Amino acid sequence: MPESKPLRERAHIWRDEFLLIASLIVFVGIVYALDNALQPAFTPSTLLLTGVFLALVPSVIWLMFFYVQDRLEPEPKHFVLGVFAIGALLAAAIGMPLVENVYRVSHWLYADTVTTILGGILVVGFVQEFLKYAAVRYSIYHSEEFDEPTDGVIYATAAGLGYAAVLNIQFVVSNGGVDLGAGVIRMAVVALAQASFSGITGYFLGRAKFESEKIWWMPLGITLAAVANGLFNWLRGRVVQTGVSLSGGSVNSWLGLALAAVMALAITGIILGLVRRSIRSAQAAK
Amino acid sequence: MSTRNSSLGDRFAEITVIAVTVVALLAGWACKTSVETRSIAFEADGITAQTPAGWLQAEPAGDEILHTNDFSNAGFGTTYILRKMPLAEGTTAAQIASLLTLERAQNLTAFRVLEQREVTVYGRTAYEVTYVFVESNPDLTHADIPSVVRGVDYIFINGDHALAATYWAEENDFEMGLGRFHLFLESLTF
Repeated sequence: MPESKPLRERAHIWRDEFLLIASLIVFVGIVYALDNALQPAFTPSTLLLTGVFLALVPSVIWLMFFYVQDRLEPEPKHFVLGVFAIGALLAAAIGMPLVENVYRVSHWLYADTVTTILGGILVVGFVQEFLKYAAVRYSIYHSEEFDEPTDGVIYATAAGLGYAAVLNIQFVVSNGGVDLGAGVIRMAVVALAQASFSGITGYFLGRAKFESEKIWWMPLGITLAAVANGLFNWLRGRVVQTGVSLSGGSVNSWLGLALAAVMALAITGIILGLVRRSIRSAQAAK
Repeated sequence: MSTRNSSLGDRFAEITVIAVTVVALLAGWACKTSVETRSIAFEADGITAQTPAGWLQAEPAGDEILHTNDFSNAGFGTTYILRKMPLAEGTTAAQIASLLTLERAQNLTAFRVLEQREVTVYGRTAYEVTYVFVESNPDLTHADIPSVVRGVDYIFINGDHALAATYWAEENDFEMGLGRFHLFLESLTF
């Protein structure tokens, strides 16, 4: 069992997570307001480039907070960026081809509620959460730099945001650009969701490395993250659908953003609570 | 990134994660297959078959007795058609195939026959015609370029009538959907 530094709450990690949620909502509000006020006219190529730029913004925001706040409790920046890049590469090379081309989820996933939930957990959830786990497990996990349980949350969040960046870029590219207002909401939702699910995996990874956990511990972590992933996607589909008319279905993307923000807050709060409980237990044991 | 060797417990945990993921993906595949092969019973004019559940059943036109398509597909919706045509005495399946081919050449854009031959389909002799065309139905709701569609007809002779079972799918989806169409053919009784 590797030696861990004394378990610390590392307040900045949680501050970064909460700041990410708040700043993404502010960012979405600004872009939405600017889009409505200016109604910019884009050529197809500038729309595509703007979309790709916006797809990267959520990850850049988190990394910025991380860099600024990590001065007091430094984590090697290139490792964080490296795990971010591995998460992105795994998404592009394995995750999306497997989900879209092999499983072809768009052809059957929305057949009925049970299928949406089951398929969302078993296929989309497990593929995404396993790859984000792999991005950390097979890179930084055995490094000397992964030296305390909360590092799991940092690196898994980086992997999740890398995954989210690629999902968002693929969405923009496959649509030849996106409507700025609705598009930016979707990007924020994907980033918040992926970062939150990764937080679950990261918490389990951190404890798996430094505490004598049972053999089922890490599978349980991946399964919980996959279940959260599948349930969130189903729930988001239910929440944003506001009605069906002769001209098609109508959606309210803001409700999806609100749901993602609440879920991200809840998951971050739960993980923070678990870390605090572990600290108290460790202190009591002394 | 420097690494250290894993402990035995760590390796077991890692293998367990992979095993759980593989089991989940296999269960996901089973879920996909069960949805894709769901079917409902069809019966008309003494002909029965199991057609895909959840597809749109269009009002049959002319000599069609079944026209069903997968409207959930974003591009061209995979389509199954059954046609029952009266036969003059001595007419062969190859002659019916020629008539159908002429009709398709008039109605479908860029229609080309790729192959035609006599085959045995689940114990019944049939004439198979494989072809390709470009989807040309005006559709204001699709902003995509028209799809290249591959089609196959199986023509069966049954007493005083011929039955043509047709499968149309987007070129990229054709092979993937062929297995399901074969299930439909297998279920066909007349």
